[in-house]
Amino acid sequence: MDYFEILGIDRRLSLDVDFLQKRFYQLSREYHPDRFASKPAAERAQAEQKSALLNDAWRTLRDPLQRIEYLLKLEGLDVVEQRTKDVPPELLEEVFELNMALEEARMGDEDARGELAGMRDHFLQLRQAIDAELQQLSAEYDAAPGSPKLQQIRGVMNRRSYIRNLVNEVEKELAPSGQNTPA
Amino acid sequence: MAYSNKVLDHYNHPRNVGSMDKSDPNVGTGMVGAPECGDVMKLQVKVNPETGIIEDAKFKTFGCGSAIASSSLATEMLKGKTVDEALAIKNTEIVNELALPPVKIHCSVLAEDAIKAAISDYKKKTGAEVPAATASH
Repeated sequence: MDYFEILGIDRRLSLDVDFLQKRFYQLSREYHPDRFASKPAAERAQAEQKSALLNDAWRTLRDPLQRIEYLLKLEGLDVVEQRTKDVPPELLEEVFELNMALEEARMGDEDARGELAGMRDHFLQLRQAIDAELQQLSAEYDAAPGSPKLQQIRGVMNRRSYIRNLVNEVEKELAPSGQNTPA
Repeated sequence: MAYSNKVLDHYNHPRNVGSMDKSDPNVGTGMVGAPECGDVMKLQVKVNPETGIIEDAKFKTFGCGSAIASSSLATEMLKGKTVDEALAIKNTEIVNELALPPVKIHCSVLAEDAIKAAISDYKKKTGAEVPAATASH
């Protein structure tokens, strides 16, 4: 049983989280241990298993990004199992250049460091645009599910991973604790 | 994550960091990456066209300590080897040399991919075919 099945919903990427939550609460009551206290051990164990699966399903599917990663995995396109050939050279070039620029600003003098805040804004804008793109692609996938669309979505997820990393890096650099360490 | 001494050594004193002219016909460039960890690795080889021996190797990696150490070690291993010997380098050699833990083995795979991509690029420039470079699994 997968996460969509335990929640009794179709494999979709655009989900109404309020609806999902209602469904989760309703099923949680159904599989609640109290209701199985007097039942045979096998039945009790099964309810416990379902309850655990339900919790995992809710935690994963309520988040749009985790939902995408999960669906990709179900459809045999696990982001963790990619090889280099799955990552287009243009993306690697772009990410390499962004990392280079970040490193130069980080290692540089005060002027160069002054660019860090601007870089953070730029990375955040990129991330925002990617999230909008993912939302759009999710809707397109739901309207016409298929492997090519999922491949496209995985490509955008890859780019998002890289940009997210850059955001983390630049924020680490801008954090006051990093700069004001007493000598 | 506790890094082995060899990883720390390569991380703190990376060998052969830098870049070479991408448009040089004797230079092969490989760019690879692992999006889920945010790693991106550029590795370049400079081949002597007369002897087919790799005379120089450079890298620049953005990523974790193990990814940096793996590519640093890879450039050391490449120097002095022929192009075909370089293609025979396996990620397990990097794993053993750096004592990488199982969760970091993918870093060595990335370095092997980078070597193959760089050699493939060089061979493409010289007009030779290398099916091995893209067919690795």
